[in-house]
Amino acid sequence: MNGFGRFWSTRRVPAGLTALVLLGALGLFLYDLVSQRTGHPVMEWRRWLADQLASRPLDDGWIVGIAVSLLVIGAWMVVLAVTPGLRKLLPMSGNGGVRAGIDRAAAGLVLRDRAMAVPGVRAVRVDVGRRRVRARAQAHFRDLDEVRADLLATLQDGIRQLGLARRPGLSVRVRRPAR
Amino acid sequence: MRIANRLLLGVLGAALMGAGAVTLLAGRRAPDTVLLTRADRVRWRDEGWWWPVVIATLSVLALLALWWALAQLRRRRLNDVLVPLDDGTGARLRGHALETALRADAESLSGVAHAHVHLHGRRAAPKASVALVLDPRAEPAATLRRLETQTLTQARTSAGLPDLPAEVRLRGEHHGVERAR
Repeated sequence: MNGFGRFWSTRRVPAGLTALVLLGALGLFLYDLVSQRTGHPVMEWRRWLADQLASRPLDDGWIVGIAVSLLVIGAWMVVLAVTPGLRKLLPMSGNGGVRAGIDRAAAGLVLRDRAMAVPGVRAVRVDVGRRRVRARAQAHFRDLDEVRADLLATLQDGIRQLGLARRPGLSVRVRRPAR
Repeated sequence: MRIANRLLLGVLGAALMGAGAVTLLAGRRAPDTVLLTRADRVRWRDEGWWWPVVIATLSVLALLALWWALAQLRRRRLNDVLVPLDDGTGARLRGHALETALRADAESLSGVAHAHVHLHGRRAAPKASVALVLDPRAEPAATLRRLETQTLTQARTSAGLPDLPAEVRLRGEHHGVERAR
């Protein structure tokens, strides 16, 4: 399970929610069954539910709608079960017994700070994707191509210093600020 | 926990999908039937074993669901770590003490603003999970290397552990832009 590379989420929240829903439904049925067995009247919803199940045909809108939503929710749960999740965590190359990952936002902050140090850059946005780093900068002096070349070099260097397990691609766009 | 959660989510998800698909397919083939007729519902009712079996099954399932829900809240924590001594015996080190030491050590590294350390695994083979909040000036790879070579190695030697596998997550602190002048 602990596959090489990606971090696998524990799926705590979906599991907890599913467990609570199950617990609620089972508990309700159990409570009503036991109270009925011990001679109390049945709760109204069970009679209603039995009536609905016995009277609505299978092509009824409600039945079809509920079946479709079961299908969708089930598919979503299967997807949650088999995908790693934790998409915001980029695996870093650790060695020995250390597995490490860095938040994409944190990596973006580090890269932004480096990009801001390039002469001519007035503002820059660095988006760290899972496979690609995109930088959009505004340069208010120097030739745009020079700024771009400097930014590329600085950011390549910065990405190397992030120590990621898989080096992401890099794209840089430089513009003059709009007046 | 991770494997149990994923297994249960997958199985329940597949069951829901199956129920939905079967209902839709049945609706195509015979649109006028219903899901549960009264005759079907009361079919077993007069058998002596029916109600006890239903109630027992529901109780077991409800208990399992309760266990599953509670398991999400619990974080497994290592109370103590077994430190092997030369004479073949061992000493117990409080897990909390080791966590605190690791944390203080990690926070003293340059580039680290805050650290959280959590020990899990077995007493004789503990594992650490470490969360680092980075300083604005940090270089992530260098910080990680320092954590490996200083903090973790030191903990390993001082607790006499053959190895201490660790999972490290690095986060950042949002900070303002500092411009080159």
